[in-house]
Amino acid sequence: MNVKEKLKRVLIEDLNLEDLDPEEITDDMALFDEGLGLDSLDAVELVVIVQKHFGVEIKDMVESRPAFQSINTLAKFIEERMS
Amino acid sequence: MSPIEPHSTLAQRQAWTSRSIGSSWQHQIFYLLIRLGGRRAAYLLLYAVIFYYTLLPSVRRKCSYYLHQRFPESKAWGRFWNSYRMSLGLGKVLIDRALIGILGPEHVEVELHGKQELLDLVAEGNGVILVNAHVGCWQVAASVLGFVETPINLLMQREEGDIDRHHFEHAGIDSPYRIIDPRGDLGGVLEMLQALKRGEIVSVMGDRMLGDDRNGVDVDFMGGVVTLPFSPYKLASVTGAPIMVLFSYKVGPKSYALKIYQTMHIPGGLGRRKEKFTPYVREFAQRLEGFCREHPFQFFNFFDMWNNRVSKE
Repeated sequence: MNVKEKLKRVLIEDLNLEDLDPEEITDDMALFDEGLGLDSLDAVELVVIVQKHFGVEIKDMVESRPAFQSINTLAKFIEERMS
Repeated sequence: MSPIEPHSTLAQRQAWTSRSIGSSWQHQIFYLLIRLGGRRAAYLLLYAVIFYYTLLPSVRRKCSYYLHQRFPESKAWGRFWNSYRMSLGLGKVLIDRALIGILGPEHVEVELHGKQELLDLVAEGNGVILVNAHVGCWQVAASVLGFVETPINLLMQREEGDIDRHHFEHAGIDSPYRIIDPRGDLGGVLEMLQALKRGEIVSVMGDRMLGDDRNGVDVDFMGGVVTLPFSPYKLASVTGAPIMVLFSYKVGPKSYALKIYQTMHIPGGLGRRKEKFTPYVREFAQRLEGFCREHPFQFFNFFDMWNNRVSKE
């Protein structure tokens, strides 16, 4: 399972997005507002999820903020840190 | 790449403003009086100014939302007198805040109740979330927190064009606190998270909604229902940071107290459902209500909290 697929699955499980299937989440879907509909507090959960499931610690929030745009950007951020 | 836009709809529709009444030159007169005659001179003018403002229906209306809940039985004269006392309480706090900036912090004494408790929580290493309210004067009282030797981050929204100055601005020094703007990206939660991960203190106001609409729950408060934020408790749940509810209040002409009313350890894994956090918000509301019973004229929310609820829309 690649990072994007795993990311979609853990987002659904850990954020309790029960109405969604991983297939319904497109790679360029925004994480917040009109996309997945996450709110500002979910960003906190995202940080925890990324560390828990991918072992990537987000230390600098300013530097990593662009990663919170979409599944694509977050997966890319994780892949870069993992490699 | 464009920055992530905040989705703060409440901030756009909120009916209240924290901007000071009075113009810049009026504030300057008070600052001059503080320099020339100290607190007493500024207070003397304040009594007259507050009396004038209390004559204005718009000012009494702003006071009435809270006073109606706190003193539902009061008659016309009682309502006027209570409005005067509430406004005077705020005026004195603003003067004291300016005074420690202009004349120095030694002109105000602050008594801290719960020093060891705070040190113990900081020593846990998960950061500490201080949940305050618009009561007393947090900035004056916080001047005694230097012993903690841990940076304090303040979630604070400043109105555009507000002429009211903070004590460090009067003193011409850098802010002793790191200010986090709730209108920033994602309501400032990432900055708060980062500070907590460094083991720092994050101070938030638990009695007003700032930022995202969805981060509030309805709880009973002083005979009605209000929407209060649950974000501090969610942050605490995710990070393991303990919550400390503390309020400041004026106890004498030149003295304040800062008292810890409650500490909470929020369990992890509570998920996204805001109902999970309602019990903690309710506890905070009960503590705040207790505070208002003890110090009825040191509660400074001048908007209709009881008619500003998300669920009413």
